[in-house]
Amino acid sequence: MLELKNVAGGYGRITILNGTSFEIPKASITTVIGPNGAGKSTVFKAVFGLLNIHSGQILLEGEDVTGRKPAEMIARGVTYVPQGRNVVPQLSVFHNLELGGITSKDQATVRRRIDEVMEQFPMLRERRNQKAIELSGGQQKQMEVARALLLDPKLMLIDEPSIGLSPNLVQEVFQTLIRLRDQGVTILMVEQNAKAALAISDFGLVLELGQTRMHDKADELLADPRVGQLFLGGHIDDAA
Amino acid sequence: MAEFLQLILSGLAAGSIYALAAVGFTLLWQASQTINFAQGEFVMLPAFFVLVGMTVLGLPLWTSIAFALVLSLIVLGLMFKKLVVEPMLPHGTLPLVIATIALGVLLKESVKEFYGATAQPFPAIFPQTVYNVAGASISLQDIGNLTVSMLAIVGLQLFLGRTRTGRCMQATAQNPNVAEILGVNVKRMVLYTFLINAALATVASVLISPIYLAKFSNGETLGLVAFIAAIVGGFNQIRGALVGGLLIGVIDNLSAVYISAQYRSAMPLILLIIIILVRPQGLLGTSEGRSV
Repeated sequence: MLELKNVAGGYGRITILNGTSFEIPKASITTVIGPNGAGKSTVFKAVFGLLNIHSGQILLEGEDVTGRKPAEMIARGVTYVPQGRNVVPQLSVFHNLELGGITSKDQATVRRRIDEVMEQFPMLRERRNQKAIELSGGQQKQMEVARALLLDPKLMLIDEPSIGLSPNLVQEVFQTLIRLRDQGVTILMVEQNAKAALAISDFGLVLELGQTRMHDKADELLADPRVGQLFLGGHIDDAA
Repeated sequence: MAEFLQLILSGLAAGSIYALAAVGFTLLWQASQTINFAQGEFVMLPAFFVLVGMTVLGLPLWTSIAFALVLSLIVLGLMFKKLVVEPMLPHGTLPLVIATIALGVLLKESVKEFYGATAQPFPAIFPQTVYNVAGASISLQDIGNLTVSMLAIVGLQLFLGRTRTGRCMQATAQNPNVAEILGVNVKRMVLYTFLINAALATVASVLISPIYLAKFSNGETLGLVAFIAAIVGGFNQIRGALVGGLLIGVIDNLSAVYISAQYRSAMPLILLIIIILVRPQGLLGTSEGRSV
């Protein structure tokens, strides 16, 4: 579904990805883990056209999409939910959702989809006319996820969905992701809460210094002592 | 009482024109962190475009106004963005501010050099009729100015709130990173903002020049007043800029009669000082937390 071949890139002259390669299959959840500064979020930016790519290739369903702009990636069914708060504070919940479909020519379908996602997240329907800034952090995150679903994405890039959410809400977001996967959406996620994320994932990917160090089934990674070692501040090679 | 009402009305009329400039000022700030210290000159210049249309090209008044609007959109909108803001913004807000100050001087001196240093009579848009209502002299020009300015601002508010393009512009102003990842054409939205500012400046220019006459130095006062109106109102809000503009217009008029004509021009500055001391976020503003 999505394949990175030896991707190198960064911001300006600073290189963060040093030949990152991996491939993820359709309708799966893959969690990217790794120490701070490993380039986890940067992978998303590379795929979504927000990064200067120096070399390598990004393939989406076999097609070269290296360096495409966000609007083009959206048109190809990719959606991106970055870390932190990503709302337009003074616009209503409804209009924030609408922005999720702003690139679509077919606004009648967008309206229908807004209704459908509000069905999935009833909280949003209750607050449809409230300004986004009046929502709690967790509600804003739910709105972002809902907004990302508006155009029926094929691939969803979601960065740290659990930050700032209560454990209940984290489980709710994770359940949503599982449901989406079952509907055929491919999900690539970065998550600090690695254990919980791997527990709902099909695959896991360990990134270190901008390179793929491990890529395996999620439960294999969960059981691997080297992964634990990594999160205690060591390197993969230190263990074993 | 009649005199008081009369002063209020003509204050609101003048204030609504200040508000046009102040609203454009806040729009530019929101969309591209541009503090435009040439805003006064932006209001001064279109009147001269109109005069060029009438005297040099021999066009009728309304055709000249259309001609001035097009020229303003190109010079004060497109060229300002491409030649001044885009090259300077990467260097930070302050270099851009200094560049706009330089631009203001350039526009002012160019008009003085190429058109003349004397105040030019400017044709009135509205008839110079004055009605006597219950002892107060109500001028049709004031009513007309107030109406046109308010229509322009209300129209702008409706455009920003009720159309998808308007909401995309709001998204660009409030959170450009989010606008980009949702596929909004951020660059185009910023350009629209500059064009809208140029259009507002043109309207203000055409309304105010029959009163003040067209003069190269008009921008000095107008720019200051627009700046103060924007800050008093809250800097990051259109409604705030509107309230700030109207307030300054009214205070200016009342103080000229009831306090002292000599201290008249100090009043907006006194208002500014009071607001900064008492309510630094402005009358309608919310304190701004910019994320890093």
